[in-house]
Amino acid sequence: MEDKEEKDQLSRRNFLAIATGAIGGLIGVVMAIPAVAYVVGPALQRNKSENWVRLGPASKVEIGNPTLFKTVVESQTGWIVTEDEISVYVLTEDGRDYIALSNICTHLGCRVRWINDQGLYFCPCHNAAFNKIGLVESGPPPSPLDRFETKVEDEQIYILLGG
Amino acid sequence: MAVQFGNWLDERIGWRNVWDAIFLRKIPKVNWFYTLGSATLFVAVLQGVTGILLTIYYVPTPDHAYDSVQFISTQVPAGWFIRGVHHWGASAMVILSVLHMVRVILSGSYKYPREVTWFTGVGLLLATMGFGFTGYLLPWDQKAFWATIVGTRIAGVAPFIGEPILRIMRGGEDLSAVTLARFFGTHVWVLPSILLLLLGFHMYLVIRLGISAVPSKEE
Repeated sequence: MEDKEEKDQLSRRNFLAIATGAIGGLIGVVMAIPAVAYVVGPALQRNKSENWVRLGPASKVEIGNPTLFKTVVESQTGWIVTEDEISVYVLTEDGRDYIALSNICTHLGCRVRWINDQGLYFCPCHNAAFNKIGLVESGPPPSPLDRFETKVEDEQIYILLGG
Repeated sequence: MAVQFGNWLDERIGWRNVWDAIFLRKIPKVNWFYTLGSATLFVAVLQGVTGILLTIYYVPTPDHAYDSVQFISTQVPAGWFIRGVHHWGASAMVILSVLHMVRVILSGSYKYPREVTWFTGVGLLLATMGFGFTGYLLPWDQKAFWATIVGTRIAGVAPFIGEPILRIMRGGEDLSAVTLARFFGTHVWVLPSILLLLLGFHMYLVIRLGISAVPSKEE
């Protein structure tokens, strides 16, 4: 009789311990899952959908010479909307097909400049040179200058960003 | 294996004595009202966790505070949940501490030898009120702004010392970026430090003295 009571007491104690642990664990999980989603969420977001950005009139592009266009694009990081100026070189040989090149050097991100006399893009940082259509002529860049998809609508040149 | 590891660890850190002292201590037969203190402690932990999470996105400056709070509520996954728990937890914290205090009064638990436990409890209640007051400003919306105008004015009507207190609270004449920054600093550094110290002391006394029994009619 004495023994049985002792056993009952123990099982009651064990039951409470297990119940407390289970409820505590449940609360922990209910908090932990949203907490993890909350912390890593913004890291998983791929921001910006594709959008066409107008550069300017197609007539501004000199045939056979890369022409610099500057435009302002809005981008949002967190709750802050920033306006960044981007520069794009547009080249056409026939006035119908256009090539739009980013002015960002593929080596380390400096800005390249078209030097008309030499017919090359030069990067001031590590003496890289790209030819007219953006292929690497000399220097350290691992790949040609980035190209944007282009289209002409109502005599205006558009490039596709975030594609 | 787990038992062996537990023994190995206990031999070095002696955690079982501490565990037993905290969770297996003898308590008199009491009722559910005696769990209000534990409930308050639970909400305090919840406030700590959700509060730390909120600081990951919140920025305490006038040009970012409101937008960062909106960002948490509408853009961050589960942000509405974390902020919601912190928001409602704040009210729960005040209500539970007051109910806990009422229970301590009605059961006479503040009497010898537990007077110091009571004093630290009063300090904890004041700290909780401070959390509520400083936290209310942080979303930096109209309600927050005007509530703090009123709250600091109330402090300002005290004779002689009111005016300096109001200026110290606001960090100047008006409610400004300075006010927001110092309310934030108080909310996340000063008050948590005070709360932890008082809470540690409060818990130590509860464990050391044991809790009081429900008073009987003959007493």
